[in-house]
Amino acid sequence: MASVTFDKATRLYPGSTKPAVDALDLSVADGEFLVLVGPSGCGKSTSLRMLAGLEEVNEGNILIGDRNVTDVPPKDRDIAMVFQNYALYPHMTVAENMGFALKIAGVNKDERATRVLEAAKLLDLEPYLGRKPKALSGGQRQRVAMGRAIVRQPQVFLMDEPLSNLDAKLRVQTRTQIASLQRRLGVTTVYVTHDQTEALTMGDRIAVLKDGVLQQVGTPRDLYEKPQNVFVAGFIGSPAMNLFEADIVDTGIAFGTAVAEVDRETLGTTSGRKATIGVRPEDLMVSADNRGLPVEVDLVEELGADGYLYGHTDVNGQRVDVVARVDGRNHPNAGDRVFITPEPKHIHVFDVESGLRLSKPITV
Amino acid sequence: MATAISEKPQKAAEPRVKPAPASIKRGGTPIIYFVALVLIGLMLTPVLFIILGGFRSNSSITVDPSGFPVEWQWQNYAEVLTNAVFWQQVGNSSIAAITTTLIVVGLGLMAAFGLARYQFRGRGVIYALFAAGLMFPMTVAITPLYILVRDLGLTNSLAGVIIPQVAFALPITIIILVPFLAAIPNELQEAASIDGCSRLGFFWRMVIPLSVPGVITVGILAFIASWNSYMLPLFILADPALYTLPLGTQVFASQYSVDTARVLAFTALSMIPALVFFSLFERRIVGGLTGAVKG
Repeated sequence: MASVTFDKATRLYPGSTKPAVDALDLSVADGEFLVLVGPSGCGKSTSLRMLAGLEEVNEGNILIGDRNVTDVPPKDRDIAMVFQNYALYPHMTVAENMGFALKIAGVNKDERATRVLEAAKLLDLEPYLGRKPKALSGGQRQRVAMGRAIVRQPQVFLMDEPLSNLDAKLRVQTRTQIASLQRRLGVTTVYVTHDQTEALTMGDRIAVLKDGVLQQVGTPRDLYEKPQNVFVAGFIGSPAMNLFEADIVDTGIAFGTAVAEVDRETLGTTSGRKATIGVRPEDLMVSADNRGLPVEVDLVEELGADGYLYGHTDVNGQRVDVVARVDGRNHPNAGDRVFITPEPKHIHVFDVESGLRLSKPITV
Repeated sequence: MATAISEKPQKAAEPRVKPAPASIKRGGTPIIYFVALVLIGLMLTPVLFIILGGFRSNSSITVDPSGFPVEWQWQNYAEVLTNAVFWQQVGNSSIAAITTTLIVVGLGLMAAFGLARYQFRGRGVIYALFAAGLMFPMTVAITPLYILVRDLGLTNSLAGVIIPQVAFALPITIIILVPFLAAIPNELQEAASIDGCSRLGFFWRMVIPLSVPGVITVGILAFIASWNSYMLPLFILADPALYTLPLGTQVFASQYSVDTARVLAFTALSMIPALVFFSLFERRIVGGLTGAVKG
């Protein structure tokens, strides 16, 4: 087992002026499950491939444990990778696929068979050991790809969107399986996904990337409760946080006819007379006394216990879409006009220009 | 041919939900069957004529050149099969064809691997050069080729036939194999490299097993081209002990020009290996031309 460190690692694709991964500084502790998340093209897969040795590092270093592996070929890094499309060897059986790395490493036949069988038991793959990948379902192939990684007993697992080729139900199931398996084996894992739900449910810590730049690293709760900037605020959480620009007034920020109270300290640090205010759907309430932000209800999504109200409003002449969580049994209907106010303790304030967080972390 | 026909009644038996487009798509109309049968007939008649002619006697061939054997004469075939010269020529043809095939497949795979999976300057030019090789039939090049082989001191040896045959078979081999190898997913190479394979290890452990269908295709094409090759051996081989079957057939035909039935039997027997090969692997050849590796 080992830690993983990215030290100002940069990847610039030939012919491009903007780095795909820009001076990434990130360390993953021994045994930790770190999720790299971001929209497509944010450099998360490139970062993982740099760690795997499949992508050149133009500047900076990558360390596994205390060993600098920046220029070490993939096979000598003692890592195992699970690919999005599994990349199983089509001409080998499941057992041969899983034992391939050991065979190359010169592990003798008996030990190979024992280790393959062990991993197969762990993943319920025993009945399929003699089959070719072609004769397996998507979920089984995914497990074989996992098995191939486990058999090697590597220092680090690398997973590149391993669930995105599965159907929704299986994805949720496999998600928990992978997370619990990782905890049981205690192998340091770097996991790439574009799905923020996957990130929140699986990771010990999450690193959010955008345009090759690391935005924030933290536990799922950290990212949810105190996003460092507007991007992270909008990316983490589903439905997404409501974010819009509003005027600063004496005691806080204008929220329709009401005022979202913000302490003076925070207000003093804004650049200009406006701020970006962010409130999560569950922190918005329909007010009884017609004060707050007037919202036209477009649609209410029923989820049983809860419902999500989708509506729009007007802030300083700009149309703003609003999502609020409402009671599932007793809620406004489409076409209604309601007033909403934020939960005072759960307001996020960001600078209009830099997008950085201004308000103090929300205490849980 | 036979499979294509036998499949059609099955398809026609399916329920016709949309009659008009279905009949156009499946094309099971009498006209198409007719055209197909005419073409098959054109191709098979000479072959059947030769094979059946070998079972007839010379007199009956003279009386009715296109008739069926009235009395089956086995002795024509038996005489050819007991002829030591025939077997020597079979041996020569086999040596030339098998060696050509092995070298073509080996060199072709290596060249195609480089062209398909390495990025380097001048790759397109090299590929185009190989493709250009298709445009030069051996007939055009035979005189300079002969001089070249003579200067190398390879006249009157099977090597003098094999080496030019390899050269002329390489373009088609590479053109078939390059897309085949390029279709092997990149992730497979990456997975293999993480699992500990070097690039050469990837070639041996992944590329070769995965390209078997393509290799069979090009191997058979090379084998049959060599087996049927006539002009090159004619120029290079002077010693009758080195003659390959096409040369032998020609010599046999002029030697026994009156004994038509025996010539037909000899010709039939010399065709058989190529025919058997082709029909055995026909499906594989088509598969190798269309199929790619699925990851």
